[in-house]
Amino acid sequence: MSENVRPVTILIAALGGEGGGVLTNWIVDAAARCGFPVQSTSIPGVAQRTGATTYYIEIVPVPAAELGAKRPVLALTPGLGDIDIVIASEFMEAGRAIANGFVTPDRTLLIASSSRFYVMDEKIAMGDGRYDHKRLADAVAGNARETIVFDMSETARAGGAMVNAVMLGALASCGRLPMSPDQLAAAIRADGKAVDANLRGFEAGMKAAQANRPSPAGDGKCGTAYRDRIATMEATIRAQMPAAAQDILIEGVRRLDNYQDAAYAQLYLDRLAPVKKVDEQAGAGGRLLRETARHLAVRMSYEDVIRVAQAKADPGRLARIAGELGAAAGQPFRVTEFLKPGIEEFCQILPPRLARPILAFSERRGWLDRAYFGMEISTTSVTGYLRFRALAGLRRYRRGTWRYQEEQAGIEDWLALVIEAGGRSADLAIEIAECARLVKGYGSTHRRGSANFRQIEMRAIRPVLDGRLPFRQGIDAVASARTAALVDPEGDALQRCLDALEHKSMREAAE
Amino acid sequence: MERSFAKEVEALKLGDGEVFRGEGILAVTKALLQSGVSYVGGYQGAPVSHLIDVMVEAEDLLHKLGVHVETCTNEASAAAMLGASISYPLRGAVTWKSIVGTNVAADALSNLASPGVLGGTMIILGEDYGEGASVIQERSYAFAMKSSMWLLDPRPDLPTIVRCVEQGFELSETSHSPVMLDLRIRACHVTGEFVAKNNRRGDYSGLNRLSGPPRFDYGRLSHPPVTFVQERLKVEERLPAARRFIRERKLNEIIPGEHDDVGIVVLGGLTNSVLRALERYGLADCFGASRIPLYVLNVAYPLVPEELREFCAGKRAVLVVEEGHPDYVEQAVNVELRRADLQTRVFGKGVLPQAGEYSSAVLLKGLAAFLAEVKPAGIDTERVGATAARIFAHVPAAAAAVGTLPPRPPTFCTGCPERPVFSAIKLAQREVGPVHVSTDIGCHSFATFAPFSLGNSILGYGMSLASAAAVGPNMAKRPVAIMGDGGFWHNGLITGVASNLFNKGDGILIVMQNGYTSATGLQFMPSSKAGRSGNAPGMDIETTLRSLGVKWMRKVRTYSVAKMAATLKSALGSAERGLKVIIADGECQLARQRRVRAEDAARLAKGQRVVRTKFGVDDEICSGDHSCIRLSGCPSLTVKPNPDPLRTDPVASVIDSCVGCGLCGEVAHAAVLCPSFYRAELIRNPGLWDRMLFTVRRRMIGWLGGRVGEAAA
Repeated sequence: MSENVRPVTILIAALGGEGGGVLTNWIVDAAARCGFPVQSTSIPGVAQRTGATTYYIEIVPVPAAELGAKRPVLALTPGLGDIDIVIASEFMEAGRAIANGFVTPDRTLLIASSSRFYVMDEKIAMGDGRYDHKRLADAVAGNARETIVFDMSETARAGGAMVNAVMLGALASCGRLPMSPDQLAAAIRADGKAVDANLRGFEAGMKAAQANRPSPAGDGKCGTAYRDRIATMEATIRAQMPAAAQDILIEGVRRLDNYQDAAYAQLYLDRLAPVKKVDEQAGAGGRLLRETARHLAVRMSYEDVIRVAQAKADPGRLARIAGELGAAAGQPFRVTEFLKPGIEEFCQILPPRLARPILAFSERRGWLDRAYFGMEISTTSVTGYLRFRALAGLRRYRRGTWRYQEEQAGIEDWLALVIEAGGRSADLAIEIAECARLVKGYGSTHRRGSANFRQIEMRAIRPVLDGRLPFRQGIDAVASARTAALVDPEGDALQRCLDALEHKSMREAAE
Repeated sequence: MERSFAKEVEALKLGDGEVFRGEGILAVTKALLQSGVSYVGGYQGAPVSHLIDVMVEAEDLLHKLGVHVETCTNEASAAAMLGASISYPLRGAVTWKSIVGTNVAADALSNLASPGVLGGTMIILGEDYGEGASVIQERSYAFAMKSSMWLLDPRPDLPTIVRCVEQGFELSETSHSPVMLDLRIRACHVTGEFVAKNNRRGDYSGLNRLSGPPRFDYGRLSHPPVTFVQERLKVEERLPAARRFIRERKLNEIIPGEHDDVGIVVLGGLTNSVLRALERYGLADCFGASRIPLYVLNVAYPLVPEELREFCAGKRAVLVVEEGHPDYVEQAVNVELRRADLQTRVFGKGVLPQAGEYSSAVLLKGLAAFLAEVKPAGIDTERVGATAARIFAHVPAAAAAVGTLPPRPPTFCTGCPERPVFSAIKLAQREVGPVHVSTDIGCHSFATFAPFSLGNSILGYGMSLASAAAVGPNMAKRPVAIMGDGGFWHNGLITGVASNLFNKGDGILIVMQNGYTSATGLQFMPSSKAGRSGNAPGMDIETTLRSLGVKWMRKVRTYSVAKMAATLKSALGSAERGLKVIIADGECQLARQRRVRAEDAARLAKGQRVVRTKFGVDDEICSGDHSCIRLSGCPSLTVKPNPDPLRTDPVASVIDSCVGCGLCGEVAHAAVLCPSFYRAELIRNPGLWDRMLFTVRRRMIGWLGGRVGEAAA
């Protein structure tokens, strides 16, 4: 038996449609050209359809000519703890390879793209369903012998190439393959398809891997530039508000000035004054103020027809879309919007005296969820643009609209709960403040969210504030009801959660 | 078919001494030509689709060799083709995905195996088992046993696979029995090389036709009274002949080893995995030499009792490595050893799991358990145990560090025409409440995954309508059956539609008319708009259904979500009894993109006008509720971090892979979602009118305070 020859083993984790098969062929071809015995297998099946897929390669790093009559017998399945290189085109797939035991600290070089291609379960969550990026990053850092992590997807995009070429480049520069970078590049040339783009991606991948850039944080936020017309308000915030809440307050003031006017921004600050007071009393260190301020700004900039029109006709928007399309200067493009306002949307911009009877009448007739007016409007045409401009111009009448009155009433109710709770416990108040997340969106989404909030108010928040539910338990109850409300659009999880809560408190009362 | 296999076709032309490099299934294809087949047929399905795909594209080469290729409409028609070899010295091969294809073919196979064959016949089975499989997990082995067909399970190594094909034909002819060649998924896709031989013309073929049928011979019919004789012939003549051939030609292999008080009996297809597991315990090397003797069954059925006895004689224990349930080989080994009165203990299921694929981890565990139990002389089993413990120690901690990851199943392609139908069903259900949905095989079965999670049963290819036959009469609401056009022609037309009409059934059938059997790799089928030789086959689903007597029929463009939902609601609510058919019409986007991209590139190169469409979402307007994703599920519609510092929930985002199918706009409209979607169209090589219009609009909007044009820096 020959003890010393062992194949170099490579596991490729990719998504269908990324060209993992082509990447595998390049590697196999390069190895064969060098005379190394090589074998690959794959589970391609229905992989073209963005499912997770793997390819497995074994290369014997001794030319067949030197092995004489001996022919290696290579494995078809990757082995636990038997992998030299794992390369993953996506961060969660790197995590999957680790969880499956293919990445080991004694042996494996893990080359992973820090980019995420979210899976369906993450995307369909009603709130934030994304998997904990830091957890994946820690697992990547803590389980391999060496790691090379960079954003392959961005590297590919910047180089105008497919991600598989970038992956080959990363493999070429890692120094663990028995083939040289030139030999791998030769495989791209021999393949003869999209050679220039693939070589660009290959070079970019090599460079990025050499630089071994640390993975960028998964949820980086970019700030938004606003005009600094209301500098005085900002100065007041900086002078008087707790440091922990200042950035949010400034952002809020700017947003509401842009949304409505400076007076509306002032209303925002006024509304927060009592919150600041209870925050201080409770010793929350600005935490309660910060969270309430964040949600209050979002709630006060609720999405009505005027807001949508403002956004659609924003001067920077069409330029941004042109950039996304890659339009050259002067190159014609068209942008078409999909709108389907209903009776409620029209009533949004009417005064309450007119809106209420119309809505009541429509509701009796069962029109509310039926009568919609679908339209496709081109913002790049003059008439289309004018329509949005005209709608956006209604901003100055917003305070007189039915929707404004409705929203402000809702905001006041919610704030009152936060303040009342804040007088007793900052934690409870923060949980209530967080419930503002439920009220968002348009049409049925908005109605569903508002109804959920009212349910939680009635069946969890009020009982705690009225002393029918112990405090600790109440805080948990509000938090879990809020989470449950975001589980499914049908509201089943929320009902179950609230039923369980009431059942439990009744049982306890009986005891 | 839109994909080109030109490179693969070249590999089929290799001659004596040239080195073939490629995948396992292509090696089989080449081996068929080297064996002098006169005809080839099959029904596509992973992992054997390429065999037929490549054969179809190799039309010229096959013409020269006189090989007839048939792209059958289902596996039963493929199996029936083998009838040509019952009375004539014609070698032939057919292929399909197993177990499902073998199930469909079973009637013909039984009727083929009973009279037996004169010409060599081979059935190439893509054993869709284990990781990556898309069908129920059963073994093909039972079919071989019950019909007396021989089952080859070659070592996943190209020279061995090729040898098994070539000798398989001889085995078939010697024993007058059909032979099955069983290839697992990874074996079909394994790459390697072998030294090729010249292709051979069949003795009789399209180039040298038979003059006519032989004299009438009742013995060639599977019809009583000869069926009773045939049953006896199977066991008394054909089986012994097969065993003789297998033994003489050494189809099975013995790998000797110094620790010969124990041994391993392994099915050919699992040999490499077993050798690697042994290697990790220091009991084998990477050239296939082992310290423990191996008996490699390249022929899984029948077992050769003499060979088995010789291997087991003098051994205290053997381990049978056989994937899946039931343990046919293990049972047979036990019986043969009993008959020979050999006291060798037989291990198998027990140290190895009863169900599931034998992955590297499973074999490492099983071998360690076997060795710990039997303690072969000279093997430090404690060291083996320690090695196993070390290998497995890392896994729980690694898995815990990562956490439970959500799955990433395959899904409808970006722009798929079938996805909108499920958006429509979801919307219709909001109004009429849940309905029974009987699902079928095909891309549309991806609707069983999130975000649709639709479907109450899957009963097989083309079976959806038939599987709802007893649901409708027992339920308040009409059931809905989903069927692809592939499934319609494979089976659904007769099994489903004809049976429903014959029984004056009710219910709704949605036929996805995308023009190809897409899930198996975009093959043409009877109602495709094009065919193998360029011309459309000319069959039409709508005409066919009308001629059968379907009265209620609507054809709806799939992307029209609102119209589809309305049509479905009217079908559900209609007072009229009888089958209601909705033809959901939309070309497979994968095929369309392959065509359109090439056309666009050509137009661009010629300086002609091309419009590129992409959808987008306005971050500020998106509420982060993701209703749109729950109704669409498009891979290019995803989420991204919210750029707004005041909001934490991610917003929807359309990424570059968008093909502009328009579904997100349709869904936003049909479901009255948020107004954040927009369609952006970039005009490349714009004409004079495009430029003028754009310039005028840009100016005017500029005067109005807007900005159109150059991207912000």
